[in-house]
Parts: sequence; C-alpha cells; structure tokens
Amino acid sequence: MSSLYERIGGQAAVDKAVEIFYRKVLSDDRINRFFDGVDMDQQINKQKGFLTMVFGGPNEYTGKDMREGHKHLVANGLNDSHVDAVIENLGNTLSELGVATEDIQEVADIANSVRDDVLNR
Amino acid sequence: MPHIVYKENRIELNEGQTVLSALLEHSHEIPNSCRAGVCQSCLMQASDGTVPEHAQDGLKDTLKSQGYFLACICKPAEPLHIIDSKNIHQRYTARVINHEFINDDILRLRLKTEQTFDYHAGQFINLWMNKKVMRSYSLASVDKLDDFLELHIRRVPDGLVSNWLCDEISSVDSLQIQTATGDCFYVPGSPSQKLLLAGTGTGLAPLIGIARDALSQGHQGEIHLIHGARHKDDLYMHQTLGNLAKKYKQFYYHTNVLIPDNGAQTGSPVPLDLQLQKVAGDDIAESKFYLCGDADIVKKLKTKMFLAGASMKNIYSDPFIIAAHGVNT
Repeated sequence: MSSLYERIGGQAAVDKAVEIFYRKVLSDDRINRFFDGVDMDQQINKQKGFLTMVFGGPNEYTGKDMREGHKHLVANGLNDSHVDAVIENLGNTLSELGVATEDIQEVADIANSVRDDVLNR
Repeated sequence: MPHIVYKENRIELNEGQTVLSALLEHSHEIPNSCRAGVCQSCLMQASDGTVPEHAQDGLKDTLKSQGYFLACICKPAEPLHIIDSKNIHQRYTARVINHEFINDDILRLRLKTEQTFDYHAGQFINLWMNKKVMRSYSLASVDKLDDFLELHIRRVPDGLVSNWLCDEISSVDSLQIQTATGDCFYVPGSPSQKLLLAGTGTGLAPLIGIARDALSQGHQGEIHLIHGARHKDDLYMHQTLGNLAKKYKQFYYHTNVLIPDNGAQTGSPVPLDLQLQKVAGDDIAESKFYLCGDADIVKKLKTKMFLAGASMKNIYSDPFIIAAHGVNT
C-alpha cells in the first residue's frame, strides 16, 4: 500500500499544485486580506511547505511553528471560517489535478489536524 | 569523502551528510527551518566547485546561475567552497566618465572601475555618498557590450544622494560602489521564450540592459518592453528604443502614458497591468516577466500577472524603494 504522498505524486505534485492553490487563495475575497503585504516569493515557499505537510510528505513543522506563524493573523480575526475556506480551496485544487476523492479527504483530515494550532487555541 | 570550505575552515563531510548538517555540527550558525529543501531559509552560495543539481531544486534560474543552493539538501560529490548568500560586500572605486542630464530630472552617470567589475545587466549596485550614506541604483549598461557602468538617477525632491549626484559630482570625481546584486537579469537557455519587460520611470534602466543583453545573446522569442510614464516628456531614451525596435524584428517597444497631452485627450489610458497582460496574450503561462521601478506598481503588476496565469518562477522584479527622510543620515 503506497503512502498518501506517493499516491498524490510527491514533490512534483506539490510543485504543480502550489501555484493553482495560491492563485485560488489570492482570488478568494473571504481570505485574501490575510495575504496583503506578504512577499509573494516567500509565500510560495511557505505554501509549498504547507502542501508537502498536508500531502503527508516529509516536513519538520511543529505545533509551535504553526502557532507562531499565525499568531498575528489570529489577532487580526483569523477564525474557523477562514480555515474552512483554505481547506475548500485546497480540495478544489486537488480535484482539478485529478486526485481521488478519498485522498482529498485524507489531505483535508491532515489540514484539520493542525486547525487548533493555527488558530492558537 | 568530499570536503567543504566555509569561512576559511575546511570541513570533512561524512557519507551522505548535507552541507547544512556539517556546518551546524561545526558550530556555524546557519539559518534553517524545514530541512527538506522547501523553505529556502538555508540559501547559500558556492564560490568554487560544482553544486549538485538537486540542491538547486525550486530556485530561480538567476540564482542557479550564480551558484546559489539549499544547504539542507546539498550533498556535494566534490569539494565545495561556500559563502553566505549575503556575504558580498567588496567595494570598488569608480571614476565618473560621463555626467549628463537625459531630461529635466534624470541624470545619466557613466562610471569606470580600475578593477574588473562583474555583473549581469539588470542587477543593481550600492553607491556610497560617504561612510554612512548609501543608495541602490540599477545598472542600465550591459557587461559584454559596454566598457562602462551606466546608471539613471532620478532627482528625488529633497533626496540627499540624488541631489548630491546631480549637482555636486562632476566627471572627474571618484565614487565608492559595491558588488552588483539582484536576481532580475537575463539567463540564456530558452531562446524562443517570450520576454515581457515593464517598468515605470527609471525602472527603464535595468530593462534596457536586460533587453540589450538578451538580444546580444541571440534571444529569438519576442521581447516586449513597456515603459510607463506620467507624462509624454517622462519617456526618456525614446529614440534609442525606437531604433532598437527597427534593428531587431523580435523587439517591440511600447509606451504607457498616464496623463495624455492637453488637447489630445483620448479618454482614460489603458492601465499598465492590462496592457502588459494583453501583450503577454495566450503565452502568459510560459512567458518570462521583468518588472522594475516604483515598488507599489511592481508589486501590483506581479500579483496581477500571477493571477492572470504567469508562473512565479518566471516573474523577476526590481522594486525601487525611495529612502525615507532621516534614514542613513
């Protein structure tokens, strides 16, 4: 049985997905204000890290990183509805790339597993 | 086993060890985070030796060509000399050989260094007014074509350094400059790719350099240069660019004037981003963009082009930031 990361397509899939995903996020009026003023090149790298993690790939992210990285956003009103929007964009990106529904669900589960850390609660 | 050299220390690598792990083991403080070649916080530069291809995964072509790599995924097969990516502070003395106003508020400054000065057309240099005050200016010259460095300096109202350069420097003086940096330059290898160059004001300086560099290296794909200006009079080097377009069939020169001449009102002009997107056309996903000039405009163009389908790895930019009053003084 291959791993989720292998089934999705590993690093190549991350590279393919990252721009589609980031475009969706920046076009989504529910959440794009949280990305005002960020450096787009740096952000693409962070998004790659995020996708690698939720695809079940190698990563060294810790709950502490998640908390630190989103603290200022939580202070600016980041809540469950925004996390939902991100996961929705993630799901749409993956279905565009032809990823199986069950695998998309598994990705969403991993994303949900860091929800409390992201929202600092 | 191969070794690395960093800050004059020779470090032997263990079997399969990464450069990052070896440096950390020897108590060097190297910024790092993901250790998976993703976050790019451990970006370093090789000054000598061959960087394994894999260690440059995800980096822009301009960084690759300068020997940048990610230390956390770099397992060199041969000895590698490494420097911090920002450890490039060599100073040069440059003689002013030409000091001429191109239009009312733009000075063309041509400099010559005694020592060889390596750069890529489109990069920028730091120029020192004195020990404390420095400003960055983009190069308008091309290393392989011109035997001088050319800068276009806009006189900033109340600007400390620009007014000094405009009024107090003449063609006999020497200036202190620093190694050229920046990743906004032409890299050969995709001769048929469409290149889209857009900039405002003296953002034209690096763009002219990039265009001439690409043409001289045999670039065959279309090269479009759009110069954005407030008024028609702000379009400088208009003639030069027109001539370049006549000489090379693949080079196109466009202008974008914000405020039309009185009496010739043709309704509101097309915004720069829409003009750029139109010129890019259906090839936008494969085209390469060079965006230079006013920082806010560059940022806006970058976002718009990305959302319109351009790939981030194909967007190079050189945002100009005007020094705040009181900074560096």
